[in-house]
Amino acid sequence: MQMANLIPVATTVGANKIVPTISIPYPLGDPATSPQEQWKLRYHRVGVALDALTADIQEQTVFKVKY
Amino acid sequence: MKKAIVYLNQFFGQIGGEDKADFAPVLKEGLVGPAQEFNRRLEAEVTHTVICGDNYMGSREEEAVQQILDALADKEFDIFLAGPAFQAGRYGNACGVICKAVKQRFKVPVLTSMHVENPGVEMFSKDIVIFKGGRSAAAMRKNIKAMATYANKLLSGQELFDAQTEGYFGRGIRHQVWRPDQKPAADRAVEMLLKKLKGEAFVSELPIPELEKVAIAPPVTDLSQATIAFATSGGIVPKENPDRIQSASATRWGRYSIKGLERLAGGEYKTIHAGYDPTAVDADPNVCVPVDALRAYEREGKIGKLHEYFYSTVGTGTTQAEAARMGQEMIEYFQNEGVDAVVLLST
Amino acid sequence: MKLEIGNFPVKDIVFGAKTCYSDGLLTINKQEALAVVKEDEHITEADLEIVMPGDQVRLVPVKEAIEPRVKLDGSPLFPGAAGDLVRAGSGRTHALKGCSVLVVGKHWGGFQDGLIDMAGEGAKYTYYSQLKNIVLVADTDEEFEQQEQQKKNHALRWAGMRLAEYLGRCVKDLEPEQVEIYQLPGITRRDKALKNLPQVVLVLQAQSQMEEPGYNDLFYGWDCNHLLPTLVHPNEILDGAIISGSFMPCSSKWSTYDFQNFPTIKRLYQEHGKSLNFLGVILSNLNVALEQKQRSALVTAALAQTLGADGAIVAEEGYGNPDADFIACIVALEDAGIMTVGLTNECTGRDGASQPLVTLDPKADAIVSCGNVSELIELPPMERVIGELQSLARDGLSGGWADDEILGPSVRKDGSIIMENNAMFCGDQVVGWSPKTVKEY
Repeated sequence: MQMANLIPVATTVGANKIVPTISIPYPLGDPATSPQEQWKLRYHRVGVALDALTADIQEQTVFKVKY
Repeated sequence: MKKAIVYLNQFFGQIGGEDKADFAPVLKEGLVGPAQEFNRRLEAEVTHTVICGDNYMGSREEEAVQQILDALADKEFDIFLAGPAFQAGRYGNACGVICKAVKQRFKVPVLTSMHVENPGVEMFSKDIVIFKGGRSAAAMRKNIKAMATYANKLLSGQELFDAQTEGYFGRGIRHQVWRPDQKPAADRAVEMLLKKLKGEAFVSELPIPELEKVAIAPPVTDLSQATIAFATSGGIVPKENPDRIQSASATRWGRYSIKGLERLAGGEYKTIHAGYDPTAVDADPNVCVPVDALRAYEREGKIGKLHEYFYSTVGTGTTQAEAARMGQEMIEYFQNEGVDAVVLLST
Repeated sequence: MKLEIGNFPVKDIVFGAKTCYSDGLLTINKQEALAVVKEDEHITEADLEIVMPGDQVRLVPVKEAIEPRVKLDGSPLFPGAAGDLVRAGSGRTHALKGCSVLVVGKHWGGFQDGLIDMAGEGAKYTYYSQLKNIVLVADTDEEFEQQEQQKKNHALRWAGMRLAEYLGRCVKDLEPEQVEIYQLPGITRRDKALKNLPQVVLVLQAQSQMEEPGYNDLFYGWDCNHLLPTLVHPNEILDGAIISGSFMPCSSKWSTYDFQNFPTIKRLYQEHGKSLNFLGVILSNLNVALEQKQRSALVTAALAQTLGADGAIVAEEGYGNPDADFIACIVALEDAGIMTVGLTNECTGRDGASQPLVTLDPKADAIVSCGNVSELIELPPMERVIGELQSLARDGLSGGWADDEILGPSVRKDGSIIMENNAMFCGDQVVGWSPKTVKEY
C-alpha cells in the first residue's frame, strides 16, 4: 500500500491502496502545529495504512482519513 | 561489407504451407525467398536464412529459440531481419519472439514488419522496432524496402528519426529533438490553441499514453501476526548517507536498521532528496519514516512485528526502469526475511 | 495599460572609460560597474567578463540572466524585489537588446544553477549562447549555504539586478532605434470586433515550491508560494513585476530575462485583434501539497470563467510533482469548458522510457513539449571556463554528479563533461523560445 500526498500521481502509476499524507516536504506532521497534533495525525494515518493492508479491494482505492 | 541474417517462416522459407507449420528451425546458407529482396536492397550481404515453422515456434518456443540461438552463435552478423509478417498472427509472434531473443543475446539491431492488426504489434512493439507493414504479401517489396532503408541508415551510422517519420510503431521511448523548422514553442502553442478553438484537427506533442493497471495484492489476513516493513522514496538516510544515494535521478537505495529504535532522531537521520524543502524532515525524520507510530502499533499488538530495516531511495527524476529494478531488489530481502506487507511512503 | 519598450540593439560590448551606448556599441566602465555590484558587502569578490556567441567559453554555475533596462520615469526595474513598490507595465522602458547580464558563481553552485556553452555542440542547448553576455562572476560570504545543495543565491542575484539597472541607465536619455508598444484596453472597454473573437488567457505556473522564503519567484517582491491565482496585465510581466527564483532543476527554470521577454506573451499580443482577444495573464503557482495544488487549479479556472475565456494556454515552470499542478489546472479549465493547451517539458529518463509527466489525464489532449530534462549530454573540453567547472560535479547541480558507476564523474580530468539536460541554463525554454520537441522512438 502507498502513503502519498499526490493522489493523482499514485493513481496514475497504478497504486491500488492509497492513504493520503498532508504534503510533500512533511508527509506525516505539519511543523507549524504542536508535537501533540503531529503525533495524533501521524498515529492516525499510519493506522489507516496498516488497516488498509487487510482490506479486500476490487479496484484502486483511496482510503479516508479523519485527521 | 556488413552482414545480415534473415528469419522466415515455413511458407516464405519455401518449405511448405500449413502442413509444414511444425517444421523445426534450420539455418541455410545464402538466400531463400524474401531474403533475395533483402539482399538486393541492403548495403550488406545476407549470408544466411533462418527458417522455422510458425506452429513449432508457437508451441515449443523455448526449444525453437534455443536451437536458433545455438545455430547463430558462431555466425558473424551486424543486423537481424525477420518477416515481413503482414497480418499473419503466428508469424508475427514468431518474428517478435526471435527478434527479442536475438537482440538480447547478440546485441545486434533487429527489425521486423507487421500490419497494425497483427497481435505481434501489441506484444512486441515496446521491445523491438516493428515497421508498419501491409495486410498481405502484396506489400512484400514495399515493406522490405522500408526495413532495408532503415537498416542501411542504422548500419552506416546515419541519423535516425522518430518512429512516426521512419514508419515503425513507437516503442514508448521519448527523446528530445530539434525541430527542423526551428518553430518556437510559443508559435506552436498559439497555433494549437487556435485550431482547438476552431474545432480543427491538431496534434498534441505529448499524446497521453494508456495507464497501466497493477494487479491487486491479496489482503493480509492477520495483521497481529504480520511482519510489516516500511519503505520510502523520500530519501531518508543516516546522516553520512552510507550508500551514497543520489539526490536526484537515483540508481541506488539503502536499508537501515531500526532495531531497538523508538523513533528516528533528527541530526542522526536526514533527507538527501533534492526535490523538496528538507527543513521539516531533517528536524523530525519521523514525519517521513514514522518509526515512532509503527513502534506504538507494534507495542499495542496491532501488528505482529516491525521489520528490522527501513528501505529508502530518492524519487525525484528517477526513471521508472531504475525504480522497478530497485523495487525488485528490495523484494528479495522482503521475501527472504519474512516480510508480509510493505507500507511505501512517497514524497 | 500602455507600455513602450525602446530598443537599443547591442552589436558589440567593450570595456572603456565611460559606460555609454553609441551606434550599437556598449562601453562599460568596469570599475564603476563593479562598484555597483559591491554595494552589497556580502559580495566578497567580483569581476566582469564579456562573452560573445562563438567564444570558446563554458560558463558554470550560472545563476541568473537579466536584460539591462531602465525606466524613464526613474522607477525601479524590479519593483518590490529590488526597489520601491510601484506598478510595473506602463510608461516607457529602454532596453539594451541582444545582450544579457549573466550571474555566475566564482566557486559554488547548487541544484538550481546551470551551464552555458557559448560555442560548439553545447551551444544549442540554451538560448543564452546566442546573446552577447556581460558576465558577472562573483563570490559571497554567504557561508551558511556554501555546502547546501539548495542555494538562495541572494547576494549574487540582487547584484545582477543592480548591474542590469546600472547598464540600462546609459540609454535613458537616448533615442531608441525602435519602439515596441504593448497596449491592451480594460477588458470591459474592448470593442465589439474584439469581443467576437475567441477570448484567451495565459496561465503562468511560476515556481514556488519552497516554503522557506528566499527561493521562489517573486511577484512585486511577494513570494509566489503565498499567492492565490491572480489576474495580471501581461505588461507587468514584460516590465519586471516578476523575478526568477532560485529553485528547480535549471533547464526547467525561467530566468528574469525570460520573464522580461516572455515569448508566449509577445506571440499572443501579435494575434490580439486578429485571431483572438488576449484577455490577460492569470498568475498561478506550483505547490507541494495536493490541497494547495487543487485550490490553485480551481481558482484559476474560476477566474478564467469569470473573465469569459474560451481558451487558455497553461505554462509550467518545473517538472516532477509540479506536473500534478499542471495537469490539475488543465483539467479544471477543460471542465469549465475552456479549451486549453499546455506548455511544458518532460522527464522520460535517460533511456526515454519513463512516463513523461508524473500525472496524466486524457483531458490534457493538447500539449506542446519543449524538451526532456533527463537527456544525457556529452561535451568536449572548452578552451576557457568562467566560474568553476567542478561545481557541476561537486555541488549537486541537478544535471551533474560527483561519480557514477557506469558514466563516471560529470567533470572529467581533461575538462570534458557528461551531464543531464537538467543542468542546461534555462534550457527547455518553456516560456516559448524552445525549438525543441519530444518524439517517440
